[in-house]
Amino acid sequence: MPKTITEQNLNSLIDALVQDGTRVVGPKRAGTMTVYEPLSAGVELSLAEMPRRSAKEVFFPVCENILSFQRTEQGTTVTDVDVCTFPETVLVGARPCDAAAAPVLDAVFSWDYRDEFFLERRKKTTVIGVACTKCDDACFCTAVGLSPAETRGSDLFLTPLAGGGYVCQVVTDKGEALVDQHSQLFADTPSATPQPLAEPAAGQFDLKRIKAWLDNHFESPFWVGISERCAGCGACAFLCPACHCFDINDEGTEKEGHRRKHWDACAFGKFTNHASGHNPRDAQPERYRNRIMHKFKYYDDKFGQTLCTGCGRCIRACPVGIDIAAILDEIQKQ
Amino acid sequence: MNKTARKHDSAVLVDEGYWSSVSQAIQQEAVRLLEQGAVAGVVGYIAGRRTGTAMPVVAATPDEARQLIFSPACVNNLALYFTKAKKEVSSKGKLAIVAKGCDLRALAGLMGESQLKREDVYIIGIACAGVYGAHADRSQPLCDATIARKCRECTVHEPTGADAVAGTLPALQKLEPLEAQELARLEAMTPQERWAFWKEHFSRCIRCLACRQVCPFCFCEQCLCDRNRPQSVETTPRPAGNTAWHIVRAMHLAGRCGGCAECERVCPMDIPLNLLNRKMAKELKELYDYEAGLTPQEKGPLTEYKEDDDESFIK
Ligand code: SF4
Ligand code: SF4
Ligand code: SF4
Ligand code: SF4
Ligand code: SF4
Repeated sequence: MPKTITEQNLNSLIDALVQDGTRVVGPKRAGTMTVYEPLSAGVELSLAEMPRRSAKEVFFPVCENILSFQRTEQGTTVTDVDVCTFPETVLVGARPCDAAAAPVLDAVFSWDYRDEFFLERRKKTTVIGVACTKCDDACFCTAVGLSPAETRGSDLFLTPLAGGGYVCQVVTDKGEALVDQHSQLFADTPSATPQPLAEPAAGQFDLKRIKAWLDNHFESPFWVGISERCAGCGACAFLCPACHCFDINDEGTEKEGHRRKHWDACAFGKFTNHASGHNPRDAQPERYRNRIMHKFKYYDDKFGQTLCTGCGRCIRACPVGIDIAAILDEIQKQ
Repeated sequence: MNKTARKHDSAVLVDEGYWSSVSQAIQQEAVRLLEQGAVAGVVGYIAGRRTGTAMPVVAATPDEARQLIFSPACVNNLALYFTKAKKEVSSKGKLAIVAKGCDLRALAGLMGESQLKREDVYIIGIACAGVYGAHADRSQPLCDATIARKCRECTVHEPTGADAVAGTLPALQKLEPLEAQELARLEAMTPQERWAFWKEHFSRCIRCLACRQVCPFCFCEQCLCDRNRPQSVETTPRPAGNTAWHIVRAMHLAGRCGGCAECERVCPMDIPLNLLNRKMAKELKELYDYEAGLTPQEKGPLTEYKEDDDESFIK
């Protein structure tokens, strides 16, 4: 029988975890927006609004040190970051489109090179997803095969109930362990009615058909038409739960410093600039093409998955109104 | 906000007819220009898929020109597309632009900086009543609650120096100058409080650089902030580099910024960048009696040296 949890007990669960020394991250109001941030108490959890940035930063921070270096009289010493020190984390209140992106990213971060920073955080994180009961006209999870009740990527999944509280679906062993450890906070409620789910308006995309078109249209005037307006910022990629490009920079003084891994984006003009000065993606339409190709063709070619969960963040944030759902729709009609 | 202000919150500021008549005028002019072959394209706006959205477009055929609109969703500063940062657009040949007052200011600035020649652009000026602010509820019409802060204090509703003007300006209501009030609040703070204010805001910056990419004056082919050999400004989104980036940005735009507030509108982290711009503009006005305006000026105060420059503030 599925378990339920009241809002109050969900807060108590967060409090208990925080007291145990577990890092708890969840949507929290900060100034004018909601962001996924470490919570110090359950009352900080704020599920009303879509967090501005995605949950990917729980595994893939905006910026992190990956080693440090010091110059001494004996020479240079290099100190690695010990990933074993990464804390056990519970990500609570993840949107289904955010939770679903993490397993998609596992593929690229454990492919030819195993990114221990990402993978260790993944291993140590338990994800509590929450079904969406509200959406806006930028949301299109249903169009890419997911849904407001998608449990992929969640270990425990909560669905809001009509009378308050949530029904809890155990998805993985991690989720089961969490429920077992705090069983006194969960109850058995045989006849709970879930709240109606959000209903994204976009119709289902034929992702195979879109990919087939992309397979044959690397060169097409289509790209110029849709993307010469692109300003070449990184807003779409930085807010996206699935975009994962990063750069590595050494920063510090001549005596000591850090090697840092930080977000990067294919929209930036310098992203593919070669040391020779040649830039294979010299104009913005070529860069935007890469965004679509990477998400709906290359990632599929390589890992059999689509690199977009339909969260709509890129659509809401784009300074020039570029709408990836409208573009996919256009491609589908070609 | 007091009670009377709240009552006005959702009162429509401009009636529907205004937007459609401006749109029609733009379409007519754009179709004429394209049919006569006077321009290779018209940089304007088309409606987006979602409620209350629009996006920039380069209309190259009369059919495309018939799709052009003007609405409160036409927020972008289209002067961006006339810079060398957007060579793929600016190299198409002579272009026309649909320009609000703020876009006109940017065009004048670009002309002053020898980035654009007046004869290379055909300007369809808009008698502009205002546009939506960054997180406006776009299911609502333009009203006190949805209008951009810059438009509340706009001094360029009526275009000057355009080749054609679309629309007739309706009577505009005077709105509370929220941005000036906020600036005054900041100015009244102690330096420590002000520093804390900006530190908090800059700490959220993720270095997506949307603020740089939409600014018509950020056209440098090599931005200082992208240099990594040697690195001039930390490129990582951490407090040190973020603060450096914002100081560089504010200084670099001082005396050039046209006040379109695009940088602030596009910031996904809601950093109130236009307050910095406004503060710099105010300082330039006080120190050099200089304002970035509607007429191209070849030299700004920070790009030229005069023997009698006031140096009293250099400590
Ligand atoms: S591409 Fe856009 S809609 Fe898709 S996951 Fe990324 S931000 Fe969300
Ligand atoms: S699509 Fe939009 S958000 Fe993405 S790089 Fe281009 S202008 Fe920026
Ligand atoms: S500031 Fe003035 S010209 Fe610019 S959009 Fe607002 S009303 Fe129009
Ligand atoms: S747009 Fe905002 S978040 Fe992006 S770089 Fe500029 S200030 Fe930072
Ligand atoms: S700095 Fe901001 S307000 Fe000034 S011109 Fe650039 S985008 Fe517009």
